[in-house]
Amino acid sequence: MSIVGYYLDLALRSLRRNAVLAALTVVAVAVGIGASMTVFTLFRALSNDPIPEKSSQLFTLLIDNWGPRAAIPLDLRLAVSYADATALLQARRGLRQSESYAINVTVTPPDPAASPISASGHAVSADFFQMFDAPFRSGRPWTGTEDTSGAPVAVLSAQLADRLFPGQNAVGREVIFNEQSWRVIGVLRPWDPQPHFYDLIFANDDVFVPFESALAHNYNTLMAACNTPPPGPSAQAKKASDCLWVNFWVELPTAASVRSYSQFLENYTAEQRRLGRSYGPPPAYYLYDVRGWLTRQHVIPDEVRLATFVAFGFLVVCLLNAISLLLAKFTARVGSLSVHRALGASRLDVFAQCLLETALVGAAGGLLGLAAMLFGLKIERLMLGETLAPLARLDSGMVAITLCVAIASTIACGAYPSWRASRVPPALHLKAQ
Amino acid sequence: MSDLSEILAALRRNGVGAVLIAAQIALTVMIVCNSLSIIQQRLDRAKRPSGVDEANLFTIDNRWVGPPSERSARLQSDLTALRALSGVIDVTATYNVPLRAGGENGWVTMKPDQQPVTAWNGTYYVDDHALNTFGARLDTGRWFTAADLGFVPTPEQKFPGVAVVTRSLANALYPSGNALGKSFYYANFPMRIIGIVDRFEASLMPLGFGEAFFENSLFVPQFPLLGGADMTYVVRARPGERDAVMSSATKTLLAVNRARVIKKVQTFSDIRSEAYRGARGLSLMLGTVSVLLVIVTALGIVGLTSYWVGQRKRQIGVRRALGACRTDILRYFHTENLVIAGCGAVAGVLMALILNAHVISGLQVAPMSPAFAAAGAMILFALSQAAVFWPAWRAASLPPAIAARGA
Amino acid sequence: MLQMTNLSKVYRTEVIETYALREFSLHVREGEFVSVTGPSGSGKTTFLTIAGLLEEFSSGEYLLDGVDVRKLSDTQRSRLRNEKIGFVFQAFNLLSELTIEGNIEVPLRYRRLGRAERQRRTREALERVGLAGRARHYPAELSGGQQQRAAIARALACSPRFLLADEPTGNLDSLMARGVMQLLQELHSDGATIVMVTHDQELAARAQREVHLVDGQILDLGARLGAQGAVQLNLQPGT
Repeated sequence: MSIVGYYLDLALRSLRRNAVLAALTVVAVAVGIGASMTVFTLFRALSNDPIPEKSSQLFTLLIDNWGPRAAIPLDLRLAVSYADATALLQARRGLRQSESYAINVTVTPPDPAASPISASGHAVSADFFQMFDAPFRSGRPWTGTEDTSGAPVAVLSAQLADRLFPGQNAVGREVIFNEQSWRVIGVLRPWDPQPHFYDLIFANDDVFVPFESALAHNYNTLMAACNTPPPGPSAQAKKASDCLWVNFWVELPTAASVRSYSQFLENYTAEQRRLGRSYGPPPAYYLYDVRGWLTRQHVIPDEVRLATFVAFGFLVVCLLNAISLLLAKFTARVGSLSVHRALGASRLDVFAQCLLETALVGAAGGLLGLAAMLFGLKIERLMLGETLAPLARLDSGMVAITLCVAIASTIACGAYPSWRASRVPPALHLKAQ
Repeated sequence: MSDLSEILAALRRNGVGAVLIAAQIALTVMIVCNSLSIIQQRLDRAKRPSGVDEANLFTIDNRWVGPPSERSARLQSDLTALRALSGVIDVTATYNVPLRAGGENGWVTMKPDQQPVTAWNGTYYVDDHALNTFGARLDTGRWFTAADLGFVPTPEQKFPGVAVVTRSLANALYPSGNALGKSFYYANFPMRIIGIVDRFEASLMPLGFGEAFFENSLFVPQFPLLGGADMTYVVRARPGERDAVMSSATKTLLAVNRARVIKKVQTFSDIRSEAYRGARGLSLMLGTVSVLLVIVTALGIVGLTSYWVGQRKRQIGVRRALGACRTDILRYFHTENLVIAGCGAVAGVLMALILNAHVISGLQVAPMSPAFAAAGAMILFALSQAAVFWPAWRAASLPPAIAARGA
Repeated sequence: MLQMTNLSKVYRTEVIETYALREFSLHVREGEFVSVTGPSGSGKTTFLTIAGLLEEFSSGEYLLDGVDVRKLSDTQRSRLRNEKIGFVFQAFNLLSELTIEGNIEVPLRYRRLGRAERQRRTREALERVGLAGRARHYPAELSGGQQQRAAIARALACSPRFLLADEPTGNLDSLMARGVMQLLQELHSDGATIVMVTHDQELAARAQREVHLVDGQILDLGARLGAQGAVQLNLQPGT
């Protein structure tokens, strides 16, 4: 390994001798890396798998219960109808399943001096917590019986529990939602899957209540797509309609279970058609796993895609500059390199030496780029809206990626100049040209 | 141009460097042209007037706490109290406003069950004060009166039969004009146009109904307290008094009845800037990268040409010895750059058009005109010629004696 | 036709003044073959660069074909170099990216000659030096002697008033050197004016007249037999 140490020594000396060129190369790499990785941070955060242990086992689905004459096209539909969701839930064909819809309640805090606050959340089934690995700080989720009976129980987020009951255990306490009494049976640990895959539109969850309980208390839907207007504005009216407002998720742990569930859906929709309902032609069902759903919903906005592409284009231009600078640098060393060759270095030795030098430049460029990123991310956070700003953050994974990209890309740039340098003839005697 | 064949021979020998510069120029043209096109369109879009009196409007997102049966009365007392405030022109209650997400969106047809639909639209449920509050301009016909508001919905007839539409929606329904008084169907319920508003943007929807949707607004005279406790008050203040009214409005509402949650109070400038924050952010990012790209490419040209000059000092001296004057040397390097930058610029235009074709579908922007790309390429080409001047001048200023003495 | 009178070239640093040429005078007539010799550091290269209008001098006078070169602009000098002086360098200085033909054409292009004229002159020059078959080759494909001959062809193509040769055989082996010297002598007998700078005494002796430089000053060693035209003896005592 001492030869590597020797190369390192030579590389450092050479960098010092041509300090200006070395500095320019480092800056070129740093600027390119800094800009591109700043944008890439956002892209990476948005393309994050929010639940990697299970993302290929959790599925959401869409059912075409309107048929081909519906005005709203399939790719704009986001949910299923109450009738379909309930039928699927009761069939229990998956390992676990949950129906849900987003709700917003007025919470009257226990402190009489405090004013009422508005809290968002979801009405979900009992299986929800285990399906999505929601971590509990205290208490428990509700049971299946509590689910079907519409019991007035609730699970709170850590933030809401701490706000309403500071310093105490909220489990067992009473909370007032929309001026009615509910009992807290569980409190979650801080939980914020990024992206908020099970409902990409309503992404703040402070309150979880059983699905049927919410309906029984007339908690209205926050979003619904209707082909024909529902009989009335209330949640009960939505129940009876064919509007799409329920998110349905099912856990299918094996490929076989996916196949059998698909078969079940096919039979279900065929049965509906036979009963004369206006379901679409086969296949009238669509299964999406987590990644598939995120892709379909364009969770990475096209703006971010374009920005990422442009930023990497910028990186390429900076790297092209780096190649020119490295060419110039190694040409300046031609004399000394030819002496090395005369004294016994093989072509490979010279190549390795030069490549190590570029690796050092890449590492320096990567570090400088990281510093530039801190600045760039700050600006990015200012430019983004509330939802996206928290994603523009440097985590350890991103640091590692940045350094690797910096070093790898610089070495790629240095390959050709190093190869050129290694072809220096052993003793550059005074030939004619 | 007599240097040209010599330059081509030299370029073939120094291929790598020439390719590096040409590639940089091509990439820069590709990115800068598209970026500028997108920026221009996004910024244009962000400047479009919504049709309401934005300077003097603000919203209060209100939620009542209390039994649903009281809500109708509470709505009236809230409106009365707000309308009585000094500095207020008018107040209305609604579920959604332009440039903000929310509300109802649907489609209109000429006959029931028509496939495909005639147009997509945004729907606003409004009262008789809404026109005056929003400050929108009524082109023809009339707005709703209190009498229109007396309608009670039934399952058979959900809406009153009268509606006001924007000019854009009217044209979609009746392209030849004269939409006033004509009828159409909304959600398969018959409606008749009694007024046409010049311009009023629909609320934002997260899904893509397309750009045309945003200018099609439908106004239905109704106070359908849709089972919810939420209501948004829109307040129009006298010019200059908006901020003063804002601070007194909340206090007034709380004085009327404390049992409520005031979720958010926003001016329309806030609403507009939030609506277009993404567009501004993207424009800023693209603009910054474009500027940086141009700088980096220009510096790259200066650097690489200086390097070439350094490599070719002896040859430059020889040429001077053989009779080249300074402008000959200058012209040599400028012609060399002309060939390289020319190739790069042409490649860049092609790449820009290809990239643009990919971009327009996703981002819903109009295609960039080839003239735009050509203009961008020419500017970059001119810039590269400017960049090469300094190293070329240094080359031309080399003492001819180098040929005999060596560098 | 080449007349230098009391020419001095001084290099000044902060501390030292170095005279590369000191009160140097030389008169070369039409058709002469003059060699300028001296040890390294004697000022030979400086003389050459000044004579070739590649460099300026500090004091004195230089008349080229009667034209006072001090009054000339850079453009005028370039033209004069192109039209009147043919250079032959020690390192050949052929442009490696061009063919032999292309190399010879370079000064012709700066003369703004048309294509037909360039091709005619190139062909003639190549034939004169015996390289007609190598027109399309690159310099790297030729031997040292051939490269030097190509350089001479380049110098001849412009029909210069005189050839200025700097150690023309310095990079050649003895066989090739002999060939080049023979060529130079042939050119001289055909009427060319040649000024050759060399440190090789034996080579210098082949010229018609020898001028010896030491420390920037001249020591004229007199004429040789067979000179055409008058010869001037100028002995400059040291200062």
